[in-house]
Amino acid sequence: MSRSRKGVTITLQKAWLILVVTLLYVPIASVVLASLSDTRYMQFPHEVWTIEPYRQALASYTTITLHLTSFRIAFVVVLFSVIIATCSALAFARYEWRGRSLFRRLILLPIFFPQPVLGLALLLYFSALGITPDWRTAAFAHLIWIVPIVTLVISIRLYNYDVAQEEAAFDLGASRWQAFREVTLPVLLPGIVSGALFGFLMSWSNLPLSVFTSGADTTLPEWLFSRTATNYSPLVPAVAVIATAISGVVILIVGVAWKLATPQPTATE
Amino acid sequence: MSKSTSGLRLDAGTWFMLPAALLLIAGFLVPIIIVASYSLMPERSFELSADFSVTNYETAFAEGYWLPLAWSALGAFLTTAICLLLAWPTAKALDRFAGRWATIATLLIALPIFISESVRLFGLSLFMMPGGGILAGSINGIFGVSIGTVLNTQLAALIGLVYIHFPFVLFPLLLGFSQLPRDQVDAARDLGASPLQIFREIEVPLTAPGATIGVLLCFVLSLGANAEMSILGGQAVTVIARAIEQRFNYAQDWPLGAALTMLVIVLTALIVLPLLKRIDLDKLIQR
Repeated sequence: MSRSRKGVTITLQKAWLILVVTLLYVPIASVVLASLSDTRYMQFPHEVWTIEPYRQALASYTTITLHLTSFRIAFVVVLFSVIIATCSALAFARYEWRGRSLFRRLILLPIFFPQPVLGLALLLYFSALGITPDWRTAAFAHLIWIVPIVTLVISIRLYNYDVAQEEAAFDLGASRWQAFREVTLPVLLPGIVSGALFGFLMSWSNLPLSVFTSGADTTLPEWLFSRTATNYSPLVPAVAVIATAISGVVILIVGVAWKLATPQPTATE
Repeated sequence: MSKSTSGLRLDAGTWFMLPAALLLIAGFLVPIIIVASYSLMPERSFELSADFSVTNYETAFAEGYWLPLAWSALGAFLTTAICLLLAWPTAKALDRFAGRWATIATLLIALPIFISESVRLFGLSLFMMPGGGILAGSINGIFGVSIGTVLNTQLAALIGLVYIHFPFVLFPLLLGFSQLPRDQVDAARDLGASPLQIFREIEVPLTAPGATIGVLLCFVLSLGANAEMSILGGQAVTVIARAIEQRFNYAQDWPLGAALTMLVIVLTALIVLPLLKRIDLDKLIQR
């Protein structure tokens, strides 16, 4: 009796998980389906299925500019966030110092902050300083939100770090820099790689900060946002699919490169 | 384990925190101070002066700007409640099937976080569109029945809010569940505890830190949410982020916009600060 009830619960739980995962992908599948037609108005099921919108999207100057703007921002964000967050992760999880527990709470605040409101506050701030917003101000806005996240990602790695290793290196006559490069950095590296990946993906897909802080420059998510409200054409879902596919390709490249670089897969927590 | 205080490295942490601290002072603290200062300036001024007053806050209430704030707060509250209801059984199931199967499911749930909000919300609107939308079109094609739509209503915006913020509740909650000692649950069950008792006396208290973080994140992020109402809600109501944007961009009234921004910031701080103070990060991250 109790055994069969347990079986029913397990089946229900499995069904629930399948339902949740399916529902999460319904909108994404919808974008893909919508992109496979060349009619001016959305009329599903399509009479003609075609990949024409993709050809148009890839040939269009606008699309390329959008990708370049988003890429430029994401590149700057990854570069700066990895450097800043590696330092702050060491302060967060590696060293004992006065004010550490305060620092740990303060650095989380931008994560627990409504992003559009942060974007609007920064918009007023830039205007008050007389700075004309463009892609660089957008990158700055992204950093405020992404540095704390990357700090957490790298810090998690450091929680399992044994300080004794570094001290042993000192005892064996290593300099500070040598100890860092030979002992600490290899431990941090997986965290830094996943932090960089996180940073790229979060910047690449960000809408709420870019929309208020990028000024005359337009990022991909911004363009998609404005074109979903007005001016629909199958080009819009096609660009959405391409932008998403690029995220996927980046994940794959980083994943494969990581696999190749580490001869034996170590357990990453 | 990570406790080592040799005099040599006492100040290393102070040095390492500097870049992030400077960034957040320049890009988070000072902007908030500037916004706070503008909120105390006379109407429509574009420069800061010593002319402090609270007129903008009075205007904000007199002109009914509490309404967008109330809509946003209501939306955030409903989103958080629904997400928690949906995330609880999901986290429990994922925790139970620990192994390859659950890892794949977890990854599949996590991936959409990295797809732009505009893409996902656009997808939802394509799905809900009346007539030739993915759902309506398919049903019409298969059954020959035309169905209505919820697109451009508050309900559609709420669906979008839940869809976007669900993972933010799920993952912290999952972290809570992963620390739940399974033998304790089994022991309670063997001793005859009912599922309700296990829920109330073991699961809820022990997953509370994770759940708190999830609830906080979800509430705060959906409080400022804007895109859901634009793309799915058809601006059926004005949310607070939209009201601020209108003050800044179209009305060119920085001080009133700043006052509205401060209202959101204060509300956020009132919710986040007391709860964040109580959470023990070490315990949550360290397995």
